[in-house]
Amino acid sequence: MDEVLRIAGVHHRYGLVQALSGVELDVTPGECVALLGPNGAGKSTLIGLATGLLAVQEGEVRVCGADPRRAATRRHLGVVQQSMGLPRTLKVGELVRGAAARAGRAASAAGPVLAEVGITELAGRRSGKLSGGQRQRVALAMALVGEPDLLLLDEPTTGLDVTARRAFWRTITARRDAGVGIVLTTHIVEEAAAVADRVVILHGGRVVAVDTPAALSALLPDRTISARTGLDDVALRAFDGVLSVRRDGDRVRVATAVPETVLRAWLSADDTLTDLRVEGAGLEQAMFALTGEDIPGHDEKTEVSA
Amino acid sequence: MSAMTVAAPGVRVLGVEVAEGLRAILREPTALFFSVLFPVGFFAMFVSLFGNQPAPSGLPVAATMLATYGTYGVVSVMLMNPGIRTAEDRTTGWMRVKKVSGAPVGATIGAKVIAALPYALLVMAALVAVTAAVAGPVLGIGTILRLVAVLLLGGLPFALISLAVGFVASPNAAAAILNAVLFPMVIASGLWFPLDYMPAFIQNVAPFLPTYHLSQLALAQLTGADATANVLALLVTTAVAGALAGWAYRNLRV
Repeated sequence: MDEVLRIAGVHHRYGLVQALSGVELDVTPGECVALLGPNGAGKSTLIGLATGLLAVQEGEVRVCGADPRRAATRRHLGVVQQSMGLPRTLKVGELVRGAAARAGRAASAAGPVLAEVGITELAGRRSGKLSGGQRQRVALAMALVGEPDLLLLDEPTTGLDVTARRAFWRTITARRDAGVGIVLTTHIVEEAAAVADRVVILHGGRVVAVDTPAALSALLPDRTISARTGLDDVALRAFDGVLSVRRDGDRVRVATAVPETVLRAWLSADDTLTDLRVEGAGLEQAMFALTGEDIPGHDEKTEVSA
Repeated sequence: MSAMTVAAPGVRVLGVEVAEGLRAILREPTALFFSVLFPVGFFAMFVSLFGNQPAPSGLPVAATMLATYGTYGVVSVMLMNPGIRTAEDRTTGWMRVKKVSGAPVGATIGAKVIAALPYALLVMAALVAVTAAVAGPVLGIGTILRLVAVLLLGGLPFALISLAVGFVASPNAAAAILNAVLFPMVIASGLWFPLDYMPAFIQNVAPFLPTYHLSQLALAQLTGADATANVLALLVTTAVAGALAGWAYRNLRV
């Protein structure tokens, strides 16, 4: 099979607002592509076009070579959304069997997928009695039960704890290794860096960069100094050469292009400085540099093991 | 294609979605109870007052009221329930899940319509029971069964109208819009009070309303009158309402 997703020359407008401008994107089997960008970058519109929710205004969108507005084409798709609305009266097993039917699969496909996602014991529970994390796992099972060629994951780990996130990405990477194409949107940049083969950075409806996470991170000569400190953010920003200051739990992360200058000033001014580390710029800083905007929710702590 | 793949899912998806709709009714029957309470209570009051009087057709009033209030009861549940439930599904995001799945549009719409039938069936069962209790056996079993079948089938276009509204409106707005459609049609079609007692302009409007044609078709099951024009009017209503519901679903914003 060639591309599982082909987006060519796509423009999309909402009234006077240009949501996408000339977007090009191909996803091949076994490839994971992350879409990153600030709010309004066009990520949701792109997902809407790929799922067939939105009609193409200009350009071409193909899923496995066919129009995603057709129901038969969408049987190649598995979709996990940020907040899946599941009827509270239906049980987990019924929901997954229903998803199998909609994808043209036998009801017996549900059992193995429930086991794969680790929710076999929830099969008889009504969705109204599930926690947010359990609902996301049910959503994943519903997406996988159709044996999709393309998985569209729209902020899929929102509400999951660290353990559930690890399990989620283990399942997803196993599917990717089995040849499933994956498109992911997330505001947790570390997730994208860990699981994506390619990152597409969108800004103002345009693709501003496409490359591997490592290559995008290497675009910047900046460094991040992280440490525990008693100094407040105002004092840290006052050092010459500091580009930004962020808190991550009890650690502070200072971005700079001149780490030696900043370190000299910091060490001389701060007796409380401990646990000092100097790291290369990350994907998050690269995205910030390319778009001039931050990713909403970037401070969310995460731990990814894919 | 793996061994777990099965045949094209149109009919199977229809079955699954009907089953999901019926499970929702069985597991949370409160909505069903209150949906039938008002039309049945209203009917019980009037049939106990006037049920044993003769109608102009020569039939007992209880029999003709079973046809006209049956029309009202079926139309009220078929017009209100699918649309409001659909609007709720849009609000919760469940409709979005279906829309991005491989479910054919016809299966989703068809299932919503079919899942409304138990409401209509329960209304008719209750009306028949009330009629029998108050006025005795005014109609034969065969006539009653034919009347119920005609009303259930004739209620389908109203479920399609309901869905078309549910695909575009919020739950609160859908309830308001559908009520605004229901009650004028019910009154202007002579379902609560005979058209003969209505002002002339309402009598002139009635033949343009699908509720009027359904009630005439229902009455024809009792009198044996020719109802070809009423059937045609309902078929046209079904085609228009079906096209409207299909268009609204395809252009659904979820």
